Amino acid sequence: MAVRQISAFLQSRPGHLARILQVLESANVSVKGYSISDTGDYGIGRFIVDDPDAAIRALEDEGVAHAETDVLCVYLEDVPGELARVMKLIAEYGINVSYSYSLISTYIAVKTDDIERAAAALAASPLTIADQEDLGRASGRMGA
Amino acid sequence: METFDIRRKGDAIRAAQAGAYDQLPVFDPEMELADRERIEALQLEKLKRQVRYTYERVPYYRDLMDASGVSPDDIRELEDIRSLPFTDKTALRETYPYGMFAVSLDDVREIHASSGTTGTPIVVGYTDADMDVWSDCIARLVQMAGVVPQDNAQMAFGYGMFTGGFGLHYGLQKLGCTMIPAGSGNTERHIKMIEDYGTTVLIATPSYAMHICEVGEQLGYDWEASPLRVGLFGGEPCPPGLKAEIERRMHIVCTDNYGLTEVMGPGVSGECLASRNQQHIAEDHFLWEVVDPVTGEPVAEGEQGELVLTPLDKQAIPVLRYRTHDLTRVTKEPCPCGRTHARMDKVRARSDDMLIIRGTNVFPSQIEDVLTKVDEVTPHYRIIVETKDGMDALTVQTEIRPDSFSDSFEEMDAMRRRIEEKLKGVLLVGVKVQLVEPGGIERALGKAKHVDDRR
Repeated sequence: MAVRQISAFLQSRPGHLARILQVLESANVSVKGYSISDTGDYGIGRFIVDDPDAAIRALEDEGVAHAETDVLCVYLEDVPGELARVMKLIAEYGINVSYSYSLISTYIAVKTDDIERAAAALAASPLTIADQEDLGRASGRMGA
Repeated sequence: METFDIRRKGDAIRAAQAGAYDQLPVFDPEMELADRERIEALQLEKLKRQVRYTYERVPYYRDLMDASGVSPDDIRELEDIRSLPFTDKTALRETYPYGMFAVSLDDVREIHASSGTTGTPIVVGYTDADMDVWSDCIARLVQMAGVVPQDNAQMAFGYGMFTGGFGLHYGLQKLGCTMIPAGSGNTERHIKMIEDYGTTVLIATPSYAMHICEVGEQLGYDWEASPLRVGLFGGEPCPPGLKAEIERRMHIVCTDNYGLTEVMGPGVSGECLASRNQQHIAEDHFLWEVVDPVTGEPVAEGEQGELVLTPLDKQAIPVLRYRTHDLTRVTKEPCPCGRTHARMDKVRARSDDMLIIRGTNVFPSQIEDVLTKVDEVTPHYRIIVETKDGMDALTVQTEIRPDSFSDSFEEMDAMRRRIEEKLKGVLLVGVKVQLVEPGGIERALGKAKHVDDRR
C-alpha cells in the first residue's frame, strides 16, 4: 500500500540536481513527483518514480548517496477542501505528517511515522490510495 | 616454519604477520643489517669528508663557516655537526639555478627541480655517483615492500622535473624490475595496462591510487583477481586510514617512502612490513637530527621535533643540516624486520603547515586522523579557512559515503554535528563541518591540496 520514495543527497551547487535527474532519465525512469528541501549547505531531493528498482540501480551505479523511504500516495478529487479533508483525517488519528508534496495530477505523497494506520484511516473515508502500479500507469492527464 | 611465496598476492604481509622476516628480501643486507657502531663509524668518516668537500667547493658554505669561525677540522664527533649552520629553502632559491653546485655541469648527469608552486623552483643535480646512491636507496625501500626483480612496475607519477618519477624508475630498474612508464593521468588506461601488461607494482600518490581503485570498481574491474600486488606511495603524506582502505579494496600491500628534492628526492627513508607507521632512514647516506623547530636545539631522543638532514655522499649539490620543516620522532630501537637503521615516524605534520585558528595551532593531520575514524565519511577532505566578522572561521568539507545518507534532515544533521564535536574535541577550536556528495572532493594527481586558506 505504501509507495517507495527515493531520496538523494543534494549538494548546494549548480548542476547537481540536473545530474541526478539525468541519471534517472538515462535509466528510463519517469518522475511522478518530487520535492527538494535544503539546509543551505546541502539538501535532500525526494522522488516518486514509476520504477524504483531501476532508479536505485542507476543511482547506485553512479555512486549517488541515496535512500529509500515508504510514503503514502493518495489520489484526491480536484475539488476545494479535499487536501484539508485528508490532513484533518490523519490528524484525527493522532498521526504526525513529517512532510508531504504533490505529484502529477492530483496525487499527493505523505510521509508519516505510521504509514499503515494513516492508509487505513484514509481508505475508510473513502479516499483512493495509490500503489506503485497505479502510479506507473498514471500519466499527467489521467485522473485529472 | 611455514614458507611463503612473496610473489603471491598477500604473502608478504602474511610472512610479516608470522614473523618470518628471513623470508622477506633485503636489498643490501651488509649495510641494512649492520650493527649500530659500524653505521655510526661510517657516518662519522663520511661526515668529515663531506664537510671538507662542501667547504672547499661551495662558496656559500665556505663564507658561512668562515663567518662563524668553524672549519672542517672542527668535525671530530657526530655531535660536532651542531656547530655547522642550518640550510633552508631560501639559500637554495637565492642561488638559483646552479649557485650551490659543487661540480661542473659536465659532471652532472641529470637535473631535477621542485615544483616551484611556492616561488622560484629549487634546482638540484646528480652526478653518476649520486644517481647510484639514489637508485640504491630506492631499491632498498621497494624490497622492504616485498618487490622482487621479477616484478612489472607501472609508474603513475608524472616524470618531468619532479624527483618522484625518475627516482622510483631508476631504483626499480636497478633491482631488476620491468618498468612500465605510463606516467600520470588517464585512469582507465592505467587500469587496462595493469590487466593487459600484468602489472604487479603500482607507483602513485595515495590519493591517486584511491582514485584508480574507485574508477576500477565503477568499471567492474576485479581487484582481487588483478595481477597487482604492491602499491608504492609517495609525493604526499599517506594517512594510515587511506592506506588501509586501499589495501583492503585493491587487495594489495602498500608502503610509502619519504624524501625531498633538496637532499635527494624519494628514498631518504622507507616503510618496512614490520613497522608500518615508521620508515627506516638510509643512515649510511643521511645523518639525521631532530630539533626544536623554534630554537633549533636538539630535542631529547624519541621526542617529536623538526627533522634536519645532512646527505653524506652527495657530490653535485651537497647540503648541510637541511631544515625539512617536517615534524617527526626518530628511534634507534631494533626493528623486528632485522634492519638496524633508525626509524622515523611517518611525517604527518609540517612546522609550516600549521594553521593558526583564533590563536590555536591546528594541523591538517589532526583533522585527517579524526575523519579516518568516522565510518560515515570517506578519507577525502578539504579545509577552508576564512575571516568572518573579523574572526577566523574553520570549515571542513567531508564526503558522505553513499550508504550513510539518510532521508531525514534530523539524522543527517546529527551526523554532521557528531563529526563537528569529534573535531572540536581534538582541535580545541570551533569548526563547521560541511557534508559533500561522494566523490565531491577533487582527487589529486600530484600532492593533494587539503587546505584552502582564504584569509
